[in-house]
Amino acid sequence: MQKSSSIPKVLLTVISGLVALVALFPLIWVVIAGFKGKAEVLATPFRFFPKVWLAENYAEILKDPVFTKAMAVTFGGAVLFAALTLFVNASAAYVFARLEFRFKRLLWVYVIMTMFVPAMSILLTSFIVVNKLGMLDTLAVLVLPGVASAGQMFFIRQFYLNIPLALEEAALIDGAGRFRIFTSIFVPMSFPVFVIVGIGAYLGYWNSFVWPTMTITNPDLFQIMQYLYNFRSERGSEMGLLMAGSALAAAPTLILFLIFQRYIIAGIKISGLK
Amino acid sequence: MFKKNYRQDNAMAYTMLLPILALLTIFVIIPFVYAACVSFYNWSFYQDSTFVGFRNYYLVLTDRLFGKSVWTGLKFALMVVPSMLILSFLFANLIKNIGSKMGSFVKTAIYIPTIISGIVASVIFVFIYDYTGGLANYVLGLFGTEPKAWLADVGSALPSVAAPAIWLGFGLTSLIMLAGLYDIPESYYEAADLEGAGAFKKMWYITIPLLRNVILYLLVTGFTAQISQYELSLVMTGGGPLDATTTPNLYIFNHFRNDVMVGNSIAASLLLFVVLGAISAIIFRVLNSEKAVDG
Repeated sequence: MQKSSSIPKVLLTVISGLVALVALFPLIWVVIAGFKGKAEVLATPFRFFPKVWLAENYAEILKDPVFTKAMAVTFGGAVLFAALTLFVNASAAYVFARLEFRFKRLLWVYVIMTMFVPAMSILLTSFIVVNKLGMLDTLAVLVLPGVASAGQMFFIRQFYLNIPLALEEAALIDGAGRFRIFTSIFVPMSFPVFVIVGIGAYLGYWNSFVWPTMTITNPDLFQIMQYLYNFRSERGSEMGLLMAGSALAAAPTLILFLIFQRYIIAGIKISGLK
Repeated sequence: MFKKNYRQDNAMAYTMLLPILALLTIFVIIPFVYAACVSFYNWSFYQDSTFVGFRNYYLVLTDRLFGKSVWTGLKFALMVVPSMLILSFLFANLIKNIGSKMGSFVKTAIYIPTIISGIVASVIFVFIYDYTGGLANYVLGLFGTEPKAWLADVGSALPSVAAPAIWLGFGLTSLIMLAGLYDIPESYYEAADLEGAGAFKKMWYITIPLLRNVILYLLVTGFTAQISQYELSLVMTGGGPLDATTTPNLYIFNHFRNDVMVGNSIAASLLLFVVLGAISAIIFRVLNSEKAVDG
């Protein structure tokens, strides 16, 4: 809308800046509240900034070995999860985009069907399955169940369908195998789509808490959101600590997002509607 | 999909598909088939199960609390989705008309809440709603109004849980709308300018009709996502007060945790599956068809 609008551009800029601030406000607030003294977090009258900036909440939560371990274990798990998600779904995406084989149609329907199963309807029976497999309280129970994702596979496949056939025909004539073509032609070209799928997988893992709460009881494997959830129900009165913990728990995701934001925001265009 | 005379790569295809097929079978298909079976049994962790036919479904459909939770879920979705879409629509138009430098800052800023977990969002908003030291009551106080117990009052609990849901979803919705806006050819607006159409007319006759697919998509996905929401209520209110924030999924989840008999809750979740799965299957068909691309 390049229009000769009656509303000046300056006003629009100011309004959008304000909306951005409102969107960021809760997050900024939790970071700042983490710097308040124990008695001050919810003191009346309400004050936005602390009287004295204290780092004690951040220092104390970082001294809790369960917290730091949960951060590290969750981060490691999330990276592993994202890597496996990319590997499993991208190879399937490539096969469905390029190869011809028996029962292709049938297998395609089999995979896509799983997209329409809501998580809640299989939550309990998934628990029974992993329990029978002896996977409770292992890293595998956190990582494996969510790796295969028809939605992610579909998204990568759409990207592969747009890669021109000409690129691989030369390689095929030279006698390169299908797997080699996948690793040497498709994977290197997948960077933008891998960033989106990878970050999506990372986020899903990092932010999950219901599944970890059900399957993990060993404190060595506690996940960060599970830690915060337990903290809130057990020590909810220590609000400064909870604020500091929440702020720190959001930090790795934020950093990752800021590094890759260009691709993520461009990815919204790809994923938007086509 | 099948073409004769085309080289087939059966062995390679099956090898590369093996991981996804195995994982989906173990962690989605088997649990799902299992759930479908359990829903016909009087099943519990501690005793032998007996076949009860459709009794579980009957019990769920006649459970007043389940009906109430579905109603709560609908109300919740109706609070979140329309307001989120309208805000996003207005805001996407706004971003499109500001400078690109400010625009990219704003895009990043509004997207940030999207990546925040439900737990962290819940923790933040519980503080905002705190009775004595929370921001919400402070703001009310500025207008000389009495403080409210936001999450403890039956009337205000559900809207109070809806606010963080809007906060979490607003950024992504705006950016998808914005991507849709950029797809509308500028020449349409130029032609409208020549005809002397005002900003409102252009929005009503050009923008909204051409965004129809995007809006429909956001409406339906937003609706299914919000009606399935339960993490926020679980952390913020636990479903209370008086079940006012118990959405259908929270109803099911609470039953998993508290009941010995789980056939009921599984039947409930399958009933939801039929409705939500059907909705997403329809969206998928529409989006995957060629027509949707042309608008």
